[in-house]
Amino acid sequence: MELEDLRELISLLKDTDITELQIEKDGTKVKIRRQTLLSPIEVQTKIPVSPEKAMEETGEEMQRLMTITSPIVGTFYRSPSPEAPPFVENGARVKKGEVLCIIEAMKLMNEIESEVEGIVMRNLVENGQPVEYGEPLFLIEPA
Amino acid sequence: MKSFKKILIANRGEIAVRIIRACRELGIKTVAIYSDIEKDSMHVRLADEAVCIGPAVSAQSYLNIPGILSAAEITDSEAIHPGYGFLAENPHFAEACATSGITFIGPSSENMRLGGDKAKARQIMKRKGIPVVPGSDGPVTSEEMLLKTAKKTGFPVILKASAGGGGKGMRIVHEEGTLEQAFHLAQREALAAFGNSELYIEKYIPVMRHIEVQIMADSKGNIIHLGERDCSVQRRHQKLIEEAPSPFATEKFRKKIGELAVKAARAMKYRNVGTIEFIVEPDGSIYFMEINTRVQVEHPVTEAVTGIDIIKEQIKLATGLPLEYKQGSIKPSGHSIECRINAEDPERFIPSPGKITFFYQPSGPGVRVDTAAYSGWVVPSQYDSLIAKLIVHGRTRQEAIMKMKSALDGFLIEGIKTTIPFHRKVLNHQDFVSGDITTGFIEKMGNGGAGNNKGQATSE
Repeated sequence: MELEDLRELISLLKDTDITELQIEKDGTKVKIRRQTLLSPIEVQTKIPVSPEKAMEETGEEMQRLMTITSPIVGTFYRSPSPEAPPFVENGARVKKGEVLCIIEAMKLMNEIESEVEGIVMRNLVENGQPVEYGEPLFLIEPA
Repeated sequence: MKSFKKILIANRGEIAVRIIRACRELGIKTVAIYSDIEKDSMHVRLADEAVCIGPAVSAQSYLNIPGILSAAEITDSEAIHPGYGFLAENPHFAEACATSGITFIGPSSENMRLGGDKAKARQIMKRKGIPVVPGSDGPVTSEEMLLKTAKKTGFPVILKASAGGGGKGMRIVHEEGTLEQAFHLAQREALAAFGNSELYIEKYIPVMRHIEVQIMADSKGNIIHLGERDCSVQRRHQKLIEEAPSPFATEKFRKKIGELAVKAARAMKYRNVGTIEFIVEPDGSIYFMEINTRVQVEHPVTEAVTGIDIIKEQIKLATGLPLEYKQGSIKPSGHSIECRINAEDPERFIPSPGKITFFYQPSGPGVRVDTAAYSGWVVPSQYDSLIAKLIVHGRTRQEAIMKMKSALDGFLIEGIKTTIPFHRKVLNHQDFVSGDITTGFIEKMGNGGAGNNKGQATSE
């Protein structure tokens, strides 16, 4: 089960009224549960056959990656305007201070900047989604 | 006259839980806001939706106006209930809500501005023929006025901050010699605490009863009162125990003070729910002290004796509905007492935050607990120490006292220190039982010695 697959499952949950999803594939069991809070969906992964290796990889990867979180409450937008392309695409390299997205709050557009130089691995919220303080927005691999 | 579909509660702790309950009973959806250390708090668990709005520090969370309004926006909340404290009496917040098309559940921003300017409020009340504590007419604007007013009022006097509250920025002056120095010091304190150095003078009445009246007004200008509360058991101007009705009040007194309260509310075109505070001297003289433009901590004792849900009424009034009750139908029945249970050392009142390892609250007929605490909850150190309100209602004051004593004994909170032992002491004190309480009671009880439950009268 790849992290990409997990992402897909999470968005599946978000787009429907499903509150809990349990999937078993290739020896990996995954349970995803929606909480009533406006916060990221809880994901529980059961480790597959070779636990140490999988743990190592995930642990290492997560340690490497930097999470950019929202400093305010508002609505997340990936582009400066609806017709424009996103500020950054997944896989793009960004400099420290480069604008990653906008969070709109009270009709004001707040630019959210990258805290590090590196590669944008993935976005954790979708365009137009409401976000709260501390909500993870992007995973960046500092490089 | 639309009713709200969704209300955001701009507060935390027990009052947020209280408001959520009222909303649920009205079929209104609720949105909780919280700081990032309060994810496991009760108001977050009970609300239909919750939005984290900032880090622990109040200025960036519970006082964060843009964050709160943004949270209302993304959740499509039509109204905001501010509770008490935090932004409840902030006119800028009320106006910002209006600008954003969100209904602020409470009085108007003009009501708040006047309520927050104590010197001006006194002035207006005086002009309308409502007795105020003798003192300055408006703020003290010169040293000449200071001396003249103090002499006219007669020492001892108390210097108070116009923008003040909570017992801060007050200074008692006993004689002319120390007046000027006290004035300058009080000005500095007021500026530091409230951002405003304006002061006014009142005659200092050391031994008095603090009696307040709950009022309610609709948008058409109909105003009624729900009877009085006695809040004389205070420590450093902080209320600890409140009761309704006041043991001091006769029918005649109740009528008089109730009418004065309505008159005061009318004088400021008050809307929604509020409380007029009075100072009452031992001889029964009533003086307007200030107006609280919010729902108060101790509202449950009035709810107990009148059977009216004040928070639900607040919400209904905010939608523009007319007052459902007429003055004639308000007949307080029985007696209610409330004890504020704080996470503090019961003798020195030092805060005692930390994990509550065991929490079991009392119950039974006429016993109510308003709280957000639970077993396993960590009382944060960043917010105020009130963790529960214990309210009882009995047919008589004596029955209420017995119920309170029983309920206090049945309230088990382990892991932190609480003021429960202090309340037990008060409830057993002779002066409290006889109803002979003034604001000097706590000090007197302290001087009488810990454990002196029979309460021999001590000299002041």
